[in-house]
Amino acid sequence: MAKPALRKPKKKVCLFCHDKISYVDYKDTALLRKFISDRGKIRARRVTGNCTQHQRDVATAIKNAREMALLPYTSTAR
Amino acid sequence: MRRYELMVILDPSLDERTVQPSLDQFLGVVRGDGGTVEKVDVWGRRRLSYDIAKKSEGIYAVVDLTAEPATVKELDRQLNLNEGILRTKVIRPELH
Repeated sequence: MAKPALRKPKKKVCLFCHDKISYVDYKDTALLRKFISDRGKIRARRVTGNCTQHQRDVATAIKNAREMALLPYTSTAR
Repeated sequence: MRRYELMVILDPSLDERTVQPSLDQFLGVVRGDGGTVEKVDVWGRRRLSYDIAKKSEGIYAVVDLTAEPATVKELDRQLNLNEGILRTKVIRPELH
């Protein structure tokens, strides 16, 4: 019996490569909020679709923003 | 000489109008050592994501400056000695 064909998920393009943003600013919390979950955790690359370099830049920016209390380390909103 | 970006969180009990002059006083170190201050941007009062020193608000300010590494180190040290300053962060933007 043939298994149903595996659904191919649509390949995501890195948002930063697409928009040609070279520097991820830690002050841009509106942008960074797209890359954290509602619990305040950094979203994985397989979720965000970012390339290796930009995922790393985003993670660093989020961590910098957390240090300056712009983003939460954890949020208990739930 | 290097370009730096300095972010400061100040005590919310301070008057927002006094922030600019008091920051200028700190930045005198930079000017005295041959550096330049390009921009001082006071964001104003903002809610903190979590409490710092039992305070839930802070006055944010961002300063763009060009200076020697040692000068910035000294500036950061002096800022951290001040009670009215909750937190500082020095970043070199073009490094990334």
